[in-house]
Amino acid sequence: MMEQEVVLSPGSSAPALPRFSGVQRFLKLEFLSALGLLPFIWQSLFFFIPMLLLFSMSFIDNSSGTLRFTISHFTQLFSTTYLSIILNSVGLSLLTTLITLCIAFPFSFISIFHFSKYKNIISLFLLIPFWTNFILHIYAWFFVLEKNGFLNQVLMHFGFITEPLAFLNNFFSIMVMMIYYYLPFMILPIYSTLERFDSSIFEASMDLGANRFQTLLKVVIPLCIGGIRTGIFLVFIPSFAEFLIPELMGGDKYFFMGNVISLYMFEEKTLGTAVAFTTLSLAVVLMIVYFIQKGLVLFTRRLTRGVRT
Amino acid sequence: MISHSTLKKLTSPLIVFSIFVFLYLPIIVLIVYSFNSRSFPAPWKTFTFEWYIALFAHGTLWISFFNSFIVAFASTFLCFFMSMCMLFFLFIGGKIEKQLSLFYLNLVIPEAVLAVGLLAYFSLLHIPLGIVTVIFSHVVIGLGFIVPALYARFVQIDPRLTEASYVLGASSLQTFNKVIFPLLKPVLLSTSLMIFMISFDDFILSYFCAGTSFQTLSLFLANSLRNGISPVVNALATILIIATGCVTSFIFISSRKHKTRVFAHD
Repeated sequence: MMEQEVVLSPGSSAPALPRFSGVQRFLKLEFLSALGLLPFIWQSLFFFIPMLLLFSMSFIDNSSGTLRFTISHFTQLFSTTYLSIILNSVGLSLLTTLITLCIAFPFSFISIFHFSKYKNIISLFLLIPFWTNFILHIYAWFFVLEKNGFLNQVLMHFGFITEPLAFLNNFFSIMVMMIYYYLPFMILPIYSTLERFDSSIFEASMDLGANRFQTLLKVVIPLCIGGIRTGIFLVFIPSFAEFLIPELMGGDKYFFMGNVISLYMFEEKTLGTAVAFTTLSLAVVLMIVYFIQKGLVLFTRRLTRGVRT
Repeated sequence: MISHSTLKKLTSPLIVFSIFVFLYLPIIVLIVYSFNSRSFPAPWKTFTFEWYIALFAHGTLWISFFNSFIVAFASTFLCFFMSMCMLFFLFIGGKIEKQLSLFYLNLVIPEAVLAVGLLAYFSLLHIPLGIVTVIFSHVVIGLGFIVPALYARFVQIDPRLTEASYVLGASSLQTFNKVIFPLLKPVLLSTSLMIFMISFDDFILSYFCAGTSFQTLSLFLANSLRNGISPVVNALATILIIATGCVTSFIFISSRKHKTRVFAHD
């Protein structure tokens, strides 16, 4: 065990590599490099090939037994029904992103700068709902929004309303659920980015003559733009294809992209249409993500214009 | 009348407090109703444990629970095993910087899109849908978390530590066991637990890849929600929320502890 064949590499920062001799070296290295690439092989097999397949299948028609190129799957999607569904999904997810951002940013800012003593306990209590099974969240909101639920009982108890209101099965309940579920996804990245900064940076900005608003625009937002971007993507991307929340909270009245995909996949069993619709939705997502990314870069540049770093 | 300055002082605690009320109110109501002796639409009657007793007698629920457990355990194990292989490969001097870019797209592709792609792929290859396909799909998500995190931490390791270990007479295997692995243990542990929880809670991938005969806990819960509210599910939810709280606190405390230890070490 004590073969001392150590080569120190003076002046270089490369790690000293373990030494194996001859055949042993060959066997180990070749075998291990194959094993070491396992995650990437898995990623290619179960991520890239399915994605490519998804893309190619949406252009292939095999109804007659032979494969041929077609765009008929797409042309049948270009009707007002589908376009309005796509627009609705974009609207829903953008609205969710915007509202969660408007709640998450002030919340993180206030809790970092006014309650930094309780930093750990606040992040722990943010993490618990984040990690709880999300169907349980939907389940829990039924108890609050039902006709005899908590909210109606409280409102009636204090005499705000005399008749129970219908909170469930409308756009309101979908929106509440979307905000509730995606809020921790927005808060956590922003919170953990802000957590890293010393509050003296902001004091310095105030000392140098910036007012609160300028400090917010020129210092705080540019510094935590990374967290904001992560939050926006973590909310926007999954909420775009959300289908369980609209299905359970909207009472079969609201159709979004995810619902259409699952409808074609499981009810109608028309794989071609489902795949084409999925490809289309992916294209829309990627496009919007690209624009958000560009927009955020421009926004930061505009905010920090004239600020020397 | 409240004066202007007290109002100003009160706003920030009030905002933080109301967000936490928003986040926790439904959970608390859910837990309270698991102890109600009458089923939900009826108001509060008396305190009872009968739903918890009924919970333990519920057959299909426990089958789906154990299915979820097996899926989560298997996908965590596979991710852990593959990332350990990758770690050893990195240790013997392998380079994976270029391959790492394979994982970039995981962040921007919605899970539902991946699920449709996987379902089409499995049906093309005639792989019967069931536990195996669910595990395979969860491993894809898990790898997207563990591989970049592990690589980022590995690159941070000071090369002088391994060198010192060799100088002091340790073999390669000893160096791996006693230097590299302990340094990466916290990140391995926390990401593994994360993968376990993601897999255990996952709905979308399981929904698409499970087929008709296999059911995980999330699928069971979604089905029972479609059929209406049952207090037995409340009892289960209470237990799950408490368990999640414990696991989250554990990950949280261990990661905080680790951070301080690293700084002290440096």
